[in-house]
Amino acid sequence: MMWIFAGLNFIFLASAVGLFFFLVLESYPILKLQGFDFWLGQDWWVGESYGALPMLYGSFFVTALACILVLPLALAVALFTSEFLSSSYRRFVKAILELLAGVPGIIYGLLGVSFLSLWIKNIFGLLDGNTLMTAGCLLSIMILPTVLTLSEDAMHAVPAEYRENALGLGLSKWQAAISVVLPQALPGIVGAVLLGIGRAMGETIAVMLVVGSLDRIPDPWFNIFTSAQTIPSKLGREAAEAIGEGTHWSALMALGLTLFLMVFLITLLGNHFLKRVHTS
Amino acid sequence: MSASTFEKVMLIVLSILTLLISSLLLVILATVFIKGLPALHSGFLTEASKDFGRAGGIFYQMVGTLILMSGAVLVSLPVALGSVIYQTQYLKSKKAKEFCRQSAQMLNATPTILFGLVGYLFFGVYLETGVSWVTGSLILAVMILPTLQISIREAIEALPEQYKDTGMSLGLSQWNQIKTIILPQSYYGIITGVLLGLARAAGETAAIMFAATTFSGVQFPESFSDPIPTLQTHMLVLTQEAANPHAIAQAWGAGGVLLALVFFMTFIAWILRSKLKMESEL
Repeated sequence: MMWIFAGLNFIFLASAVGLFFFLVLESYPILKLQGFDFWLGQDWWVGESYGALPMLYGSFFVTALACILVLPLALAVALFTSEFLSSSYRRFVKAILELLAGVPGIIYGLLGVSFLSLWIKNIFGLLDGNTLMTAGCLLSIMILPTVLTLSEDAMHAVPAEYRENALGLGLSKWQAAISVVLPQALPGIVGAVLLGIGRAMGETIAVMLVVGSLDRIPDPWFNIFTSAQTIPSKLGREAAEAIGEGTHWSALMALGLTLFLMVFLITLLGNHFLKRVHTS
Repeated sequence: MSASTFEKVMLIVLSILTLLISSLLLVILATVFIKGLPALHSGFLTEASKDFGRAGGIFYQMVGTLILMSGAVLVSLPVALGSVIYQTQYLKSKKAKEFCRQSAQMLNATPTILFGLVGYLFFGVYLETGVSWVTGSLILAVMILPTLQISIREAIEALPEQYKDTGMSLGLSQWNQIKTIILPQSYYGIITGVLLGLARAAGETAAIMFAATTFSGVQFPESFSDPIPTLQTHMLVLTQEAANPHAIAQAWGAGGVLLALVFFMTFIAWILRSKLKMESEL
């Protein structure tokens, strides 16, 4: 019997390792052909040259935007939920967050297309509401449950004695929360944000629908109200045409490999920070 | 402004923010159902779609989503169960255990579109399942593997040490212990994992959109190599026809059904999880 279980465990490990292995294998042709220029090139013309820079740029920019937008909100609500809410209300908020995290990406995409992109178009007087800003806003809503619930866990895990000591020294509950709980929970908060970033980077459907899908770097570079492209949205748009073979497919797989490595590193780092929360 | 008024103001601001975030779910639910209302008619759940999805019902799309979900869990459950049992009962080396745990976390964090790309290549091209519902189920099976593993592992690790000690003192073999103690006692955890896995598979679009699904032309798969319509793909295609109010209404309607499906399974998983907690506290 042991061998059956070992075999099943092997299937699991093989699918995890195999995923990475296939990405490397399939992106080898284009990387051999173009080398580092693949990541530095700005032009993506199917059949001629494949440059990943606009997609890399879009992915970073959209993720950074989502991160900036989500951080103050998530931290404020996490602090309030952890430090000032009774345990039954706290459980209620956590339950809502778990449901929110389960809302399918395509629903967020539909909400983005029907409302967010129209709002942004009207508020800022744009011709096209599908912009980096739209994708960033939508992503910030999508990663909010992850960032919020994990950073709340980190704050809640700060030992009760710390708070009691702070209150005993004459600090108010608010001061204790800001100057004792928040710094103590910092590693966990960093971990939570990193996992949120990992999530945001890999989100495909919702971003694909609102980012505008234009393979170019905005001009000027900080113009957040132009259409752009992220790695997953590029993959989502073009995988069906290139499917299975050719240089085009290899280029898409190399984009996938790049995405995988970025998410891998960020998640590894995030888990490292979160582990410190549980062991301390 | 004195320090204490400042604190009071801040607390009020924070409580308002918390209230807003908590009502976000309600806002999403209300929007989906209000917007989907024009598409709802008596046959929405039981009729086939007509006029390229702009009219009619979503019966076959629903069936498609259900087939992919159940296929995924059928493949994923034995692998998840077996691998967790191996890791918790047989594997002794700490390093190997840690490696398995890390791999599961990595698989969990991997962007879902990559499962679609690599899965299509491996299953669809190398194993020659093509663009079909079989490919889709296999891709989703790998994707939900960590979800199932986490729940099963939690349940098995929560079992009291005495159970195993008693089993050993009775001279039960490792396999008999698993069969008579571990599997029956972690029953709720396994079901919870299955439900959460089903919910995750139901909500996934990117991994299957080009490897398993089709928008029109097929209603019910007649062989293993047929693609399948799903609620997710249906919504994706209709969403891109933003100018057509009928198409958008149908997309919202399908979204409402999808959301109901996902939440329904999450709720049952919660009920089972609370039962599990109560039992372990006895």
